[in-house]
Amino acid sequence: MKFYKDHYDVIVIGGALAGLSSALMLADKGLDVLVLERHNLPGGIATSFVRGGIEIEAALHEMMSIGPEGNRLKVGKFLEDMGVFVDWLKVPEAYHASLPGIEVTLHPGLETFAKEVDREVPGTYDKVLKLLNLCHTVFDSVNELSIHPMSKPMMLLKHEAFVKTAGYSTAEVMDTFDLPQKARDLLAPYWIYVGSGFKDLPFTIFAVLMADYIGYGSYIPHKFSHEISLKMAERAEAMGVQIEYRQHVEKILVKDGKVYGVRTARGDEIHADYVISAPYPNKVYTSMIEPISEVPEKALKMVNGRRLSLTAFSVIMILDKPAQELGIKDYSIFIGDTMDTDELYKDLAGLGPYRYLTCICHNYGNPDATPAGTCSFSITTLPRVDGWKTVTADEYDAVKHRVAEQMIDDMSKYYGVNLRDHILEIVIETPMTVAHYTGMWNGCIYGYAHTMEDHIVARLQTAHEEKFIEGLEFAGAHQISGDGMGPAVTNGRKAAKNVLDDIKAKKEAAAK
Amino acid sequence: MKVKGFLKDVGGASRVTKARLSAFENASPIPVKEDPIGNVAREWHPGKLELVVQDIYPVSPTAKTVRFVRADGKQLPPFYAGQFISLEFNVNGEIVSRPYSLSSAPYEARQENGYVEITVRKSKGDGFIADYVNNELKVGDHLLGNVGLGQFYYEPLRDAKRVMALAGGVGITPFASMAKEIAHGTLDMDLTILYGSVSSDDIILKDQLAALTCDRVKVVHVLSGDEPNWTGERGFLSAELIEKYTEGDTSYFICGPQVMYKFLRGEIQKLNVPQRRVRFEVFGQAKDITTFPGYPLEKRDEVYTVTVRRGTHEDRIPAKATESLVVALERANIRIDTACRSGECGFCRTKVLAGDYYVCPENDGRRGADKDFNYVHACAAYPLSDMTIKIPIE
Repeated sequence: MKFYKDHYDVIVIGGALAGLSSALMLADKGLDVLVLERHNLPGGIATSFVRGGIEIEAALHEMMSIGPEGNRLKVGKFLEDMGVFVDWLKVPEAYHASLPGIEVTLHPGLETFAKEVDREVPGTYDKVLKLLNLCHTVFDSVNELSIHPMSKPMMLLKHEAFVKTAGYSTAEVMDTFDLPQKARDLLAPYWIYVGSGFKDLPFTIFAVLMADYIGYGSYIPHKFSHEISLKMAERAEAMGVQIEYRQHVEKILVKDGKVYGVRTARGDEIHADYVISAPYPNKVYTSMIEPISEVPEKALKMVNGRRLSLTAFSVIMILDKPAQELGIKDYSIFIGDTMDTDELYKDLAGLGPYRYLTCICHNYGNPDATPAGTCSFSITTLPRVDGWKTVTADEYDAVKHRVAEQMIDDMSKYYGVNLRDHILEIVIETPMTVAHYTGMWNGCIYGYAHTMEDHIVARLQTAHEEKFIEGLEFAGAHQISGDGMGPAVTNGRKAAKNVLDDIKAKKEAAAK
Repeated sequence: MKVKGFLKDVGGASRVTKARLSAFENASPIPVKEDPIGNVAREWHPGKLELVVQDIYPVSPTAKTVRFVRADGKQLPPFYAGQFISLEFNVNGEIVSRPYSLSSAPYEARQENGYVEITVRKSKGDGFIADYVNNELKVGDHLLGNVGLGQFYYEPLRDAKRVMALAGGVGITPFASMAKEIAHGTLDMDLTILYGSVSSDDIILKDQLAALTCDRVKVVHVLSGDEPNWTGERGFLSAELIEKYTEGDTSYFICGPQVMYKFLRGEIQKLNVPQRRVRFEVFGQAKDITTFPGYPLEKRDEVYTVTVRRGTHEDRIPAKATESLVVALERANIRIDTACRSGECGFCRTKVLAGDYYVCPENDGRRGADKDFNYVHACAAYPLSDMTIKIPIE
């Protein structure tokens, strides 16, 4: 029995947001694309599940780079250009911050946000707005330069703020604004989504994150992130992409430095000119390339020279009362006993208790999120993989429950309500859960850490030198734009663009 | 625009690029394959395992326990007491899968020479796999099994420490697993089992349960049939009886035949306990789909043609309006992954490309967006016209 064509232009390994973005863009240019996804539905962690008849979001807190209808940002616009129309709902606030001496809800809009910070820390309006505007300028430059690279002198002329802040950490740039600690703390909570301490986090990353989230607000899909994944998959199939679920790719086949196909666990050998891989370069270069002798030493040094970033630990609950009755008042709340990000970063290398938590109550962004009389409430921390790597299968359940219990207790204390008296459904997602459903290397959903040694500006500068096998591209959080569902789409587009550029270059060379 | 001075500022991009390249230069070239987090995930969820029947022994006049070990001699995965195994039986060349709650305890799987067990009752003529297990399966047989599935287990962060099990017939098995784990000291909960049977001959695992009775495990047998010498509880698992044995904050766990579910839903309502304290094991494959609301009775005798797409390959198979798409696929020898066969787990998620279908309302565990785009869980979907579906290649 034959299930595949003799040849495809491109095989995409992994049908999550990055891979599906690649597939959409390639199919849009008329290429013959096969997507192989190991799970039985698209999306990776951009998905949902059903417990006790209630659909529950698996991972998404809020999505950046979407923008309002009629004025979509990068990711929102790409999806619509591809014919993917998601029913986006605007998240009503930026976040509620509960930090030492701070209890405030902040809203998106650079000026609104600066005003709200000023209300808490009087006299800071101008400085905070100036910092946010700087973030916005850097954000605009990153967006433009990622599409239209230019010479260094030209960059300095046109993207001065971007160039001049590129060599500094978030702490170094923030220091020049001379803000009181409390104002700095109020600007820091989204930090958890990028996860290096401010002393090691490139300012460029902080700027992009702040400008996107604070400047434009964030969005969630009406029917959970499965709506995004499924609509992308459906659209891709309508455009002629073949998507096969439950196909686990074990090997990427290479000959004379060039990719020619893949082999699945089922034993199918499928041929293509290009392969786009969602599996981490760590996995690809250590166990997927066949023969392994095709992997150059430089590729191994590169993956060994990078540090894996964050994974996720979430306690997701359906509670048996409406949020208001339990004292839950906000869509998202960041809570911690310190906002010293360098301290917190160390904390994330362990196995709890975690001192900095993110809670989401989807009902405030999506009134249909749960049945009447109930609400959804999740508590998340984004630990580094280091601590979890030490947990054995026999310890796993006890560790998972200990960490989850601590998180529920912390939030119960905060609300003055024992949340455990209201749990209709509970799901504890761990790094192992991520590994189980997605096969992600060490359960790491956040790619490589953004650090001063692995800076996004450096990544952009040297990307062309990091291709070790012809025809092999990568799409996932491990790529230039990094982690998060929005960046996943951008990473997928970039992989597709690399394929399209290569095809074009080969055609031009052939014409000569 | 100035951070630290013009030259230092404009040199930033080169500085970070050099830092990155030198980090790579100084890194080791030795491949690091270790994925310990992935390894734990694979140890818990290894997927389908090749199992061997090690022992078969009677546990009542009407039921047998089957013990399985791994064919490769490796350790079985951890699971939670109450979870099930999905087994693939080869019956006259037809591969048919069935979920069975594990009647053995998790510690028995993890100990040296570990094993898992299921307990199966002879059918009353309506279960060909139950009959196959009781009559034909033999020691030494090999089959594939996926161990540790489902959501029917004690969750300490959610459930009351005191659990009352309401079991009917072969629905005792998940509670037998819990009772063993409690008695072994590795499950911290109190369990009272109200176990309904028709006659004392129907009681499954009677001696085993009696041996497990302790401070934390109580078993109350309830007979509904007319048995003159019976001195224990009689009748059904009524609200009155449940109340009689309830002490304080209690979670009710219910597992049994479909008729019992319908009855107990009413009884539970009378008890006025919060919804979060009541947990039903999945419903199981509908015994007679034509009895469910909205099923179009005029189509009950129809046999349709279903075009099954797997990759670029297509097959056409017959499918009865009263049998689920999974059953039609199994009859046609087309592999599809299934587990709970109750529409909950979603293993058999299938795209409907064309045609009409009916979804069993008791077993509709689909995501909202899946419903919008015509995905079904094939174990709970019934053809109402010729159809075209797409399923994963197995």
